[in-house]
Amino acid sequence: METRDKIIQVTDLEKHYNFGAIKALDKVTVDIDKGDVMVVIGPSGSGKSTFLRSLNLLEEPTGGAIIFDGVDITKKKYKDENGKWVKINMDLHRQKMGMVFQHFNLFPHKTIMENMIIAPVKVKKVPEEEAKKKALELLKRVGLEDRADAYPIQLSGGQKQRIAIVRALMMEPEVMLFDEPTSALDPEMVGEVLDVMKQLADEGMTMVVVTHEMGFAREVGNRVLFMADGKLLEQGTPEDIFEKPQHPRLQEFLSKVL
Amino acid sequence: MDSFVQLENFGRLAPYSQLFIQGIIVTVMLSVFTVAIGFVLAIILSAMRMSDCYPLAFLGLDKEGHQREKGFGVTLSKFNPLSLIATAYVEILRSTPVIVQVAIIYYGVFGALIELPSFTFFGFIKFERFFPGVVALGMNSGAYLCEIMRSGIQSIDSGQSEAARSLGMNWVQNMRYIILPQAIKNILPAIANEFVVIIKESAITYTIGVQDIMSAVNAVRGATFIIIEPLLVATAIYFCLCFPASKLIAHFERRMSRGDKR
Repeated sequence: METRDKIIQVTDLEKHYNFGAIKALDKVTVDIDKGDVMVVIGPSGSGKSTFLRSLNLLEEPTGGAIIFDGVDITKKKYKDENGKWVKINMDLHRQKMGMVFQHFNLFPHKTIMENMIIAPVKVKKVPEEEAKKKALELLKRVGLEDRADAYPIQLSGGQKQRIAIVRALMMEPEVMLFDEPTSALDPEMVGEVLDVMKQLADEGMTMVVVTHEMGFAREVGNRVLFMADGKLLEQGTPEDIFEKPQHPRLQEFLSKVL
Repeated sequence: MDSFVQLENFGRLAPYSQLFIQGIIVTVMLSVFTVAIGFVLAIILSAMRMSDCYPLAFLGLDKEGHQREKGFGVTLSKFNPLSLIATAYVEILRSTPVIVQVAIIYYGVFGALIELPSFTFFGFIKFERFFPGVVALGMNSGAYLCEIMRSGIQSIDSGQSEAARSLGMNWVQNMRYIILPQAIKNILPAIANEFVVIIKESAITYTIGVQDIMSAVNAVRGATFIIIEPLLVATAIYFCLCFPASKLIAHFERRMSRGDKR
C-alpha cells in the first residue's frame, strides 16, 4: 500500500454529556490523509456534527486524541522534545483548519470584502492590499467579484455559503471542514455550493464533509464514514458503502435516503 | 379653601430663578459624569463577568490533560474569581436602594475614610458634595449598564464567535472585531435610555446637599414656605430634559435599524 501523509489521526474520540449518560461520540477512530475527501453520513443525532466540530475543538472532547500536525490538540498542554510542558495554542491550529457552517455565519456588520480580509489581516498580519488582491481572486473563482462591497444581507443563501467557503480559504488552511453546508439552502442553490466544493476537491484540498447530499458523497468523496448513535459503524470507498453496505443500520439508512 | 396652585406664587419664585438655572447645570453635569463613570465601570465589570479566568482549571484535568467529567476538582476548576467579584458587585448594587448607596458613599466612604478637598467650581458647585454624588450614582449605573452590556453581548448568535474562532482569531480579537461592534449597535438604545434614567435618579443627591434642581426646590421652600409651585417648576424642568432626550433616542433607534433592512 502506498504511504500517504496523515494529516489528522483521531483515536478513540469520546464526547460525553451528563457524566457519560449521553455519548455523543463513542470511541471514534479514523485517519484523515492528505487529499482525502471524507464524507460523513448518518441519521440526525448520530454525532457527525459533533465529530466535525471536535476536530477544531468547537466542542471539547472528553476522551481520546486528535493528532494534528504531530500534536494532540485535545489536551490543554503537551511535552515538547525538550521535555518542557507547552500550552496548546488552539488559535494557531484553527488557522490551519477552515470551517464552513450550516448557517454561513458571515459577519453581518462587515462587507463581503471585509469579511474575507479580516482574519488574514488581523490574525496573520498579511498587508491589507495583498489580502484584498487575494480576496478578489477568490471571489472571481466563485463568480462573486462584483459583490465585494455588498453586505451579507444583500446576498442569497447560496452566495453567502460560497463567500463563507472562500473566506475560510483566505487563511490557506490545510484542511477544510464542512458542517452540512447545503442544509439551510433552497434546493436550487445547492448545486452552486456543491460545484465550488467539487472544484476544491479536484484541486487536492483535504476535506471533511458532513452532508445529506448522497450524490455528492458518491461522486466527489473518496472515503465515506457512516455514523450512528455516536459510533463509527462503517467506513469505506463510496462504492463499498453505497453498493455493498454491510452493517444493518447502514442498509436501513440507505434504504430511506436513496 | 385655597386652590391647589396659586398663580401669584409663581411670581414670588422669580428672585430664585438663578437657583433653578444652577440646578439644571448641576443635574446635567451629574448625569454626564455619572454615565461616563458608569460606562467605564460597566465595560470592566462585564469583561470580568465573561472572562475565562480559571486559576484552578488544572484541578479539572486528568493525568493526560483531558477535561475530567465529575468530581470535586471539576467543581473547583470552574471557580472564576473575577466573575464572582463582578457578579457580587452587580447584584448588591442592584438589590439596594440608590438613596442608601448615596448616603453610604457620602457619609461612610468620603466622610470617614477619604477626605476630599473642599472648593467650589463654576462658582457654585461644591466639589466635596458633588464628587461623592457622582461616584455613588456612577457605581450604581455601572451595575445596570454592566447587565445591559452583558445581555447585548450574549444576544449575538454564537455562530459568530464560532466563525471567528474557526478563522483563528483569539478571544480578544473575536470580541473586538466581531462581537462588540454588533453588540454595541444593539445596546446603544438601552444605554441612552439609562442616561434618561440617571437624569431623573440624580435628584436623589439633594439628600447629601448637591445643589441640583431638587435642592433648589428645597431652598425656595425654606425661604418662602411655598411648596407646590417650585415642585411644579422642577417637574417641568425634568420633563423638558428627559422627554426630548428620549424622543431623540427613539429617532436614532429608527435610523439605525433602517440599515438592517434591505
